[in-house]
Amino acid sequence: MKSNALKIDESDNVAVATQSINKGDQIVVSGESLCKAVEDVELGHKVALMPIVAGESVLRYGEPIVQATRDIGRGEWVHVHNTQPIPGDLKE
Amino acid sequence: MEFLGYKREDGRFGVRNHMLVMSSVCCANGVIDAIGRALPEVVTVTHAYGCGYGPEDFVVSQRVLSGLINNANVGAVLVIGLGCEMLKAESLAQSAQGKLAEALVIQKAGGSAATTARGIEIATEFLKELKAQERVLAPVSELVVGLECGGSDALSGVTANPSVGAAADRFVNEGATVILGETTEMIGTAHILKRRCATAELGEQVERLVSDCEKQVRATLGPLAGMVIAPGNIEGGLSSITEKSLGCIMKAGTTPINEVLQYAYRPSKRGLVIMDTPGFDIDSMAGFAAGGAQIIIFTTGRGSTAGFPAVPVVKVASNSPTYNSMRGDMDVNAGSIIDDGRTIDEVGQELFDLSIRVAGGEQTCAEINKSAAFSYLKQGPTF
Repeated sequence: MKSNALKIDESDNVAVATQSINKGDQIVVSGESLCKAVEDVELGHKVALMPIVAGESVLRYGEPIVQATRDIGRGEWVHVHNTQPIPGDLKE
Repeated sequence: MEFLGYKREDGRFGVRNHMLVMSSVCCANGVIDAIGRALPEVVTVTHAYGCGYGPEDFVVSQRVLSGLINNANVGAVLVIGLGCEMLKAESLAQSAQGKLAEALVIQKAGGSAATTARGIEIATEFLKELKAQERVLAPVSELVVGLECGGSDALSGVTANPSVGAAADRFVNEGATVILGETTEMIGTAHILKRRCATAELGEQVERLVSDCEKQVRATLGPLAGMVIAPGNIEGGLSSITEKSLGCIMKAGTTPINEVLQYAYRPSKRGLVIMDTPGFDIDSMAGFAAGGAQIIIFTTGRGSTAGFPAVPVVKVASNSPTYNSMRGDMDVNAGSIIDDGRTIDEVGQELFDLSIRVAGGEQTCAEINKSAAFSYLKQGPTF
């Protein structure tokens, strides 16, 4: 299958869409179908590969990049509307 | 490994042999522009500063403009000032080492028309002398390459920046120097960079550099600090500075960090070094150029078109839509990693090979377009 999303690190819980993904499309990473997109995800934007609960970290490059501000389901678009920068990521 | 470059008196090599016509103060810009219209071959450097600021900004001004004058890509320089400004044209011209240099002062030369005419005479003479100079064999280890990202999207850290990292590793392998900057885009990754430093002391310097930057960002932006990224970045899919930073530092490749430099200082070590530059692309490139970078590799997701005076800027697009829609501004398409199944290493090799050809004279898109943006860091008040 042709991939439409990319993961950097094995532990990442999101993938980055490498083309515009429509609601209902399969999310395909390294030729393997991982889940279904439950909404549109634009090129360059993130999609959850597994459920992420409110307060949990979103991982890219194997590192936390933001935290969920509400529960996020598998296949959902992940961005500034349902996440926030990790408080304390910036030191005093 | 070698390229054909211009040898300078201090032993450094330029990849270009430019005639710079530079203003010491923005009041003189009109004359510089007029000389540039008469002689399109010169590289004009005009800016918004030179007066009406405090001692700290003054010192940075001197260091940046003098650093650019002394960049090995510059074969000759004519500095033009008004006469009553803080930053004197004569002192900038005097700071030029081992190259043709002259200063003109509008208030002493009889006004703008007279200064323009005299400036055209001088520049014509200098251009003639520069044309007679030839390229000679130069070791690739003499190259200093600045690494920049601008208009990043979520793919910058996936395709373009890792490809630059692969190229950076190759440069370092050849004994050359690569500079990672944009301190705001290291926020959230200080622990990773610290691990990569050649000594514990350097690790502490990096940590302090990034944490000072974080404090400044927080003081200025308050609770929005974690979002210190431009609207274009957010539209492109990046959700936080940490996400953007992780993608950014991929440009630096995998080799140890050998030096931590303040803004616009020249590296004294080879290999990978870090320079404290802002995230704002143009000011950041000015830091690299003043530090002696002969080439800048610049990744972009949204499509930055900015080049820099006297320094060839190689543009790497992170995605094919941007590459294809702005074909005349992009040199390498890292989007081919997604669309054509190429590897990061392949694109890194393509980028390295192109950079060596650029060093030998091949023009980048930004050079062909004469797209040069110039600005530099000013942090204090204006009076």
